[in-house]
Amino acid sequence: MTLNLDKPWQPVLDKIKTWARINSPWAIHFNSGSCNGCDIEILATLTPRYDLERFGVKLQGSPRHADILICTGPVTRQARDRLVRIYEQMPEPKFVVAVGSCALSGGVFQGCYNVMGGIDKVLPVDAYIPGCPPRPEAIIDGLVKLLTQLQEGAAPEQNEGENTSAAAVEGAEIQLDAQANGEAK
Amino acid sequence: MNTLRAVIALLFFPGGLFILFAGMAYEWVDRKLIARFQNRIGPRWFQPLADSIKLLAKEEVIPTDVNAILFVVLPVIALAGALASALYVPIIGLEPSYSFSGDLIVTLYLLSLLTLCTGLAGANTLDRFSLVGATRALTQMFSYEAPVLLALLGPAIVAESWKISVISEYAKSHWLIITQPIGFLVAVIGLMGKLEMPPFDAPEAETEIVAGALTEYSGRGLALFHLGKSVELMVGLTLVTAFYLGGVANPLLFFAKTLMLLVVVAGVQSLLTRLRIEQTVGLWWRYGALLALAQFLVMIAYEGVA
Repeated sequence: MTLNLDKPWQPVLDKIKTWARINSPWAIHFNSGSCNGCDIEILATLTPRYDLERFGVKLQGSPRHADILICTGPVTRQARDRLVRIYEQMPEPKFVVAVGSCALSGGVFQGCYNVMGGIDKVLPVDAYIPGCPPRPEAIIDGLVKLLTQLQEGAAPEQNEGENTSAAAVEGAEIQLDAQANGEAK
Repeated sequence: MNTLRAVIALLFFPGGLFILFAGMAYEWVDRKLIARFQNRIGPRWFQPLADSIKLLAKEEVIPTDVNAILFVVLPVIALAGALASALYVPIIGLEPSYSFSGDLIVTLYLLSLLTLCTGLAGANTLDRFSLVGATRALTQMFSYEAPVLLALLGPAIVAESWKISVISEYAKSHWLIITQPIGFLVAVIGLMGKLEMPPFDAPEAETEIVAGALTEYSGRGLALFHLGKSVELMVGLTLVTAFYLGGVANPLLFFAKTLMLLVVVAGVQSLLTRLRIEQTVGLWWRYGALLALAQFLVMIAYEGVA
């Protein structure tokens, strides 16, 4: 829904926006079936010893406030809908970071009957952080790499094929709305 | 010429832009102080600015089943109320740009507008967390509003005026923190309750109800609420300083006084844990209001004797 007006100040505005986005990534953390190892490392990253607030990272409770979805663990079939739903609830532009071996590929749970596989089977992932679990330093490194990538002007994945993904999102939203209404009744 | 002066006062200094940036600066000091108290490095100096610009540039999701007009307008009213209140208080120790008899009452109501809008914004959405947050925000408002009003009434009574400029002029020669310590305490703690800072952050308790009344807000609306809160932090600190800590003085000294007050507020924030909502209400009505009333009795008795 962005207006692309060809005005001389547009590049400056874009620069300011990118600067603000890079310097204020608010995160939300979702565990879609992890063993909690990665979650503990993420918490360690956020607590005073490593203090991600010096990069502007703040952990948010609500998906509506967040820019970055930090996912841990393989996607179980039960958690899939919730994961997609949280992703859809986030406002654009949004990024997904997969943390840990299981989030990358399914890890030791690969091939289980109840597991879809890695996060990228369900959502477009922007940064992968390997490790079992990854150290806080690795998580910080991954986040900084994602932010540098933003600075170089890499567009968020959703904007590339706008029509197709918009249609897909709409479809998913209708489905989710139907679910929500069903729940409400 | 008069209109030009009014436009400048509204848009640049001391209203409008200046207040926004000053509010963000105070918010940064607050966050940085808390970070240092927690042995962290803390955010960089431009953090609130980056947060605000990012949120303003983000997509705003309007949830289904809300009144879209209210959803869009409430953050604007909240910020407007906070900005308007800044016109009546002596920002950085300068004379307020507008002043009339009774502006203290108007300022207090304008400051309450933010909480009221937050409550309405939460009640507007169907989200259960927003609803719980809105209930708590409004409950908390009804508990601290009266004691704070009583606390700010004390200086007004001794200065015999409802005018902020007259009261701060009177406070110049009388440090009211010495003669009315209870009022000062109630006013500072009331300010923290108004801004939903810990230990009064039950309305937006992250660990229980996601983000309280603002759970469904994203992008622009959230940015405006955040900015309103920063502005209110600045206006509140200014008001308490002007009333209790020696009134309008030279700007640098005044600024230093507000910063000292902010250090105290940040210390209390990082020291205490969250109160449950009924504990908050109990604290205000059992202790806050009663103590403020007791101080009134003392004042009236003293006045009667003298």
